[in-house]
Amino acid sequence: MKKFLLAVCLAFFSFAAHAQYEQVNLTVFGMDCAPCAHAIHVSMKGIQGVSTVDVDLNTGLVTIKLASGNNASMRQFNQAVEKNGFTHKDAEVIAKGKLTGTAGAFFLEVSGTQDRYALSPTASTTDLTSLLGKTVTVTGTVPQAAKGKVSDTLRYKTIVEAR
Amino acid sequence: MKSHLILACALALPCAAWASDHGPVFSYATPVNSQGEVSFDTGLFGRGGSAGTQLSTGSGFGYGVTPHLTLTFLLPATFGSGSLAESRMMAGGEWSAGASWRFLHSVTSVGKRIESTASLGIVAPGPQQDSGVLGSLHRAPGVAGTLATGLASRSQYLWAGAGYTRFAEASNDRRPDTLSWSGVYGYRPTKLRRGYDQWDYRGFAELTGEHTRNIRTAGAILPNSATTSIWLGPSVLAIFKNIAISGGAQAPIFRDASGSIYGREHVRFAINFSYLKYSSHAGAH
Repeated sequence: MKKFLLAVCLAFFSFAAHAQYEQVNLTVFGMDCAPCAHAIHVSMKGIQGVSTVDVDLNTGLVTIKLASGNNASMRQFNQAVEKNGFTHKDAEVIAKGKLTGTAGAFFLEVSGTQDRYALSPTASTTDLTSLLGKTVTVTGTVPQAAKGKVSDTLRYKTIVEAR
Repeated sequence: MKSHLILACALALPCAAWASDHGPVFSYATPVNSQGEVSFDTGLFGRGGSAGTQLSTGSGFGYGVTPHLTLTFLLPATFGSGSLAESRMMAGGEWSAGASWRFLHSVTSVGKRIESTASLGIVAPGPQQDSGVLGSLHRAPGVAGTLATGLASRSQYLWAGAGYTRFAEASNDRRPDTLSWSGVYGYRPTKLRRGYDQWDYRGFAELTGEHTRNIRTAGAILPNSATTSIWLGPSVLAIFKNIAISGGAQAPIFRDASGSIYGREHVRFAINFSYLKYSSHAGAH
């Protein structure tokens, strides 16, 4: 039993280690002053795996860069914004994960988290069949969702096989 | 035990939304704490008049229970005697505790929000007596309610607010019920709309007013003890990350108070220091 648990843990961490958010850009609404930005900075830095946070008060842009192997989820980024009394627009993300689904209905599973997105292209459709089951790096947009919710769609710009 | 818990909860409810870390120093404003944020304010408030100068210090604690509900607790102390009229805009000799609820919160664009906050609190007599005619009264607790609404943005701020405090009767004495109101305009010049890792400054023009009803003493109304005054003056707020310092002064533009009962108040001033401790706790995914 012990060996089995150890094997499960090892499998989980080895998988999580190469699948995660690399960067998340949020345009946050409602920040008017330095404490607002500082509050967002502190909240984002409190998420395990976040390496740097940059907040631009004049544009509202919050740029979050994450360390390799993190388990941070989109819900945590949303909560960090909402607990400070703000909202945010769409999130621009660079994420690594496993491409699953079937031809015509592709999903990105950001492992180490419970985040799973239905993929839809922002421009012309690319045939992703050859990437099914592989670990890919996706750049795209997670649309704004209702308060307390995370969108289940990711509008991708690019998808490439992760190195 | 149950009554102790109820009392503790009641005292943990916050008070009026004034002189707080994010806003003007005299007027009512809408900001509340973030969820999990602890704020500490301490200030020196002065009222100078023909009968002397009265200084009071107020130390307030706030805790953000949710992004829109903050509990506050204020411990004041007064020094000197000004023989002045009741004031709820300036910290006096009462302890207060209450809750502020931001019931309207519209954030639909970058750097701007429109919001309204209501506060309800308990005011309890502190260990120090007031000065002048108020000092001779038996004191009883009261209830204070305030309402503030307005706009906050990167360039401009505009808030309007009003409050009402009603005191209970003690040994046939009653302190005057007080109606107070404020309007404040704030501006941050273009050159000062900088990054959050630099000092953030803004200036305010604060208009405040108060009407205090007649005092009841020994079961009878004290004639001509009602007062009305309106005050105007500038204030400045400077913030660096989680530290804020604000200060301002006001002069009267209208005074209607009996000279034989109260001293003639000439100036009000305040300096406030705030420390904000934000929660870095992130919810589990």
